[in-house]
Amino acid sequence: MISGARAYTDNGVRRWLARAMARDLGTLVVPGLEIARLHGLDVGAAGLRSVASPRHASVLLVVGALPPALCQAAAVLYAQMMRPRIVLALGDEPLSPLPSADIRLGLSQRELLEGVRQLRVLLADGAFQTTAIDFEPAILSTRTEYTCPMHADVIRDEPGTCPRCGMTLIPREAQHDDHTGMDHAAMGHGQPEHKESTDHAHAEAHVRPESTDEDHAGMDHAAMSHGQPEHKDSAEHAHADKQHGDDHSDDHGQMNHDDMDMDFMSMVEVTRDLPRGSDGLQMDWLEVPFGPLFPGLPGGLTLTLTLDGDNVARAQASAPVGIEQARLTEPDEVATFVERISQTDRLAPLAYRLLVYRALENAANAVLDANSIRGRVGALERERICSHLGWLAQFGQQIGFGWLARRAAVLQLAARNADVRKLQQLRPQLVALTQRLQRTPLLKQRLRGIGVLMDDGGLRGPVARAAGAYDDLRLQEPAYQDLNFETVVRPHGDALERLRIRLAELTNSAMLIDAVGVIDASSTFAHMEAFHHLSGSGQASIETPRGAASLQMTLDQGRVISARLDTPSTRHLPRVASLIEQCELGDALTAVASLDLSPWEVMQ
Amino acid sequence: MTVFLALVSMLLYIYVIAVIEASLRTGRVNAALPLFAALALLGRESIVPRKCDRIFFETAPILLLLSALLAAAVLPLAPGLMITDLATGALFINAALAYVLVALLMAGWGPDGAYALIGGWRFLGQLLAYSMLIVMPITAVAMRASSLLTTDIVTSQAELWNIVYQPLGFVLFFIAAMALAFLPPFDLPTAQGELAGGVEAEYSGVRLAVFRFGRLALITALAAATTVLYLGGWYGPWLPAWAWSTLKLLGVASAMLVAGHYLPRIREAQLLAWAWKFGIPLALLNIFLVGVLVLVLS
Amino acid sequence: MKHPTMTTSDNGIVLLILSLACVGVVAGLYGFARAIGRTRPEPGKDVPASAGQMSRDPVWVRYHARYLGYALLFLAFDMEMAFMYPWAVVYKQEGVVALLDMGVFLGILFLGLLYGWSQGALRRQ
Repeated sequence: MISGARAYTDNGVRRWLARAMARDLGTLVVPGLEIARLHGLDVGAAGLRSVASPRHASVLLVVGALPPALCQAAAVLYAQMMRPRIVLALGDEPLSPLPSADIRLGLSQRELLEGVRQLRVLLADGAFQTTAIDFEPAILSTRTEYTCPMHADVIRDEPGTCPRCGMTLIPREAQHDDHTGMDHAAMGHGQPEHKESTDHAHAEAHVRPESTDEDHAGMDHAAMSHGQPEHKDSAEHAHADKQHGDDHSDDHGQMNHDDMDMDFMSMVEVTRDLPRGSDGLQMDWLEVPFGPLFPGLPGGLTLTLTLDGDNVARAQASAPVGIEQARLTEPDEVATFVERISQTDRLAPLAYRLLVYRALENAANAVLDANSIRGRVGALERERICSHLGWLAQFGQQIGFGWLARRAAVLQLAARNADVRKLQQLRPQLVALTQRLQRTPLLKQRLRGIGVLMDDGGLRGPVARAAGAYDDLRLQEPAYQDLNFETVVRPHGDALERLRIRLAELTNSAMLIDAVGVIDASSTFAHMEAFHHLSGSGQASIETPRGAASLQMTLDQGRVISARLDTPSTRHLPRVASLIEQCELGDALTAVASLDLSPWEVMQ
Repeated sequence: MTVFLALVSMLLYIYVIAVIEASLRTGRVNAALPLFAALALLGRESIVPRKCDRIFFETAPILLLLSALLAAAVLPLAPGLMITDLATGALFINAALAYVLVALLMAGWGPDGAYALIGGWRFLGQLLAYSMLIVMPITAVAMRASSLLTTDIVTSQAELWNIVYQPLGFVLFFIAAMALAFLPPFDLPTAQGELAGGVEAEYSGVRLAVFRFGRLALITALAAATTVLYLGGWYGPWLPAWAWSTLKLLGVASAMLVAGHYLPRIREAQLLAWAWKFGIPLALLNIFLVGVLVLVLS
Repeated sequence: MKHPTMTTSDNGIVLLILSLACVGVVAGLYGFARAIGRTRPEPGKDVPASAGQMSRDPVWVRYHARYLGYALLFLAFDMEMAFMYPWAVVYKQEGVVALLDMGVFLGILFLGLLYGWSQGALRRQ
């Protein structure tokens, strides 16, 4: 009945175990808990236990639509989950290459509860069943090919001997197809040497004519250029010493285990060609992926860190779920365009919806009445509160602060659809949260001086305001000026300041809502017909929870023919690499988390 | 018979501590949850990663459990209620707990996965921070008792518990014990948000069950050690000896578990710096103060 | 001083039996789990998990430990602790002499700590 069952007959003992399994549901949430909360899902309250490693999970909970990159990442995680495993999908989007969902329901807490109930029944009944289907999508498969340790261009599908030198061909794994595009040659590349050294008796005699230590470093080069023809092209050479680290790591790893016949190794000799760390020591570097589905970062954000011990030597940040410019400029009806933009950023949908409306109104020279403007202010500020609380919950998770992660999540869920009166009731709790965090031991020490970004005009939103810049579009808006709005600015630009800024904005936004007394963005939806035959261009900007976003669009007879979007995360993402280089791993991840990047709004 | 009783009570403590841990996580008390979790793990697949160091990978969970059990074996719950009364008991606790490091390094190295590897090496750094703060306070306790026998250590506190006699030692030992059990905020080797499970990440099914059980046994052993060394062991009015031990032990364990819930994870650099710049001078001061007190009072 | 009722070798045997029993119980659990079923081999399943990317690279490397300054100091202090335990047991008998003896010893060690601190050993390298 379930696609990830264990293929065994269901006897008495297994039945009991299956019932126990139905009570303990370790869950991986894709794209992430932050998206689940945004849809009002309280995963913990539904009886699911969110876990960090796919090894500990039995449920894969898919929330809403997944872009292709995340579908593949989720499929990898699913493959690494232990049977019995089960897919619960909320929403009706396709999941391929994941197997079709065992349970598929709508996107609401009520249906999540129903889903968990069904899931327990399914697991208790179907954890063990007589047949099971292997999960083997193409992205996971590797093909074994055989290559000569001396002649890398000799590649055969069958084992045998090298036509040129007669050596036995050695097996290596090759990726079937390039799946995420992020792993460059990594898959094919680590392996050849691996096998090579396992098959050492052969390799040694030829690749290393004299089996002396001095030759070791040289041998790696030989191995590298032999094992991997693809590294010869010049593009790859740009990364020469990164691969270097990898190649060495491979060899040394093997060395420690298999090469019992090795004589004494001089550290100076074996580390001669290794990259130098910040302290001048030469050690192996590791390239480790953090993302796209890493528990400490928002789902979709992908960091690839080259680690020198636990220090980040080099970093690459990308957002494979971001907005493609090509898709943005596709000509489209106004109504569909609005939907598309507001769904691009799953973390701040309302702000982007309002942004398009402002741009349309700008194109049509439409003027909104005061009530609608105030309603929008209320709605936007409520989204800001939710967004900041969601960030707090995620940040709490990243820095291992269990209480904060739980408390902020509870408040976010409460604020999500709250009206003015309910938000008034929430305000003391927001204040209490702020005060609590000011008193929390270790928190300041953990965050002070971490991820310092000073303002140079390129920062946006809370990140800029934490670095002393009065960067807040709300300051220029009459609606906010009428409310005597003042923005909070702090000087030091580190993670602690960003936390303080967002905490201050929580209460500020609550006060703004109090002052406008209305939360209502619906008035904007009513006059859509006005744009049906509109031609011209419009532009607008808005202070989203993450900072200023702006949109320029050209319309022709009610169709959007071109558009340009500028979003805060697009500006912040390229900063990540230089921000975290030479940081300790934990500090680096905290620094990235403190930026509150939304991978969804990154322009590709 | 006493050995059997001591073992059974040990298991009960472990279970209660598991319940406390689960309720902190879920926010609801559910006495059956750890049982279901354990059974569920037994029924699930358990994988050995490809190209792993099989010996390291398989040994680590068992070694973790063993070191916790051996440490607990020399700690008395009541007069006579212990597994074995070793003449070098206080030293033996140290020796047994040293293997926690070995187990975690093995678990880190074994699976050939990056997160686990970093977690394992991180714990070595953590050892450099906590180890002296376990060893030195125990020395001061032994000075007062003039013995390494754990039963003697308890009887030496008949009039005054060590928590009052040497509060500094207690605080240092308690914090170091949390670091040794890699409990939050010292969960550097398993950090969810930094290493996605770290040394635990590659364990699944029955192997994970043994690993988690070993971790819980370790918390229990450390809570028992704190009770014996600082809280007067079984001493206390009205209630029978074993009841006092139980109450104190579970109290200490709960305190360890609860504290981490309200704190962010510590940075490794700061942990090391604070341990050596403040912890060790304070531990030396503690030894000196106890030395003076012992001489003055005897 | 009270003496243990058991001799050291008896203690050792108890601990040995305890260890063996523990290993036995664990082996029993493994056997039970095996009887419930084996792990189904599937592509990608045994690759160490890394956040949704299939990272097949081996990671066994010369790890760059950045706490080596602490590690060296730790060695010195750990050696010293071997002397502390027997000293602690006879401390009461020996009295002030013991305090002074160890005081000098620890004092020198503490100076070593201060020296290491001044030379920058107490930081991430």
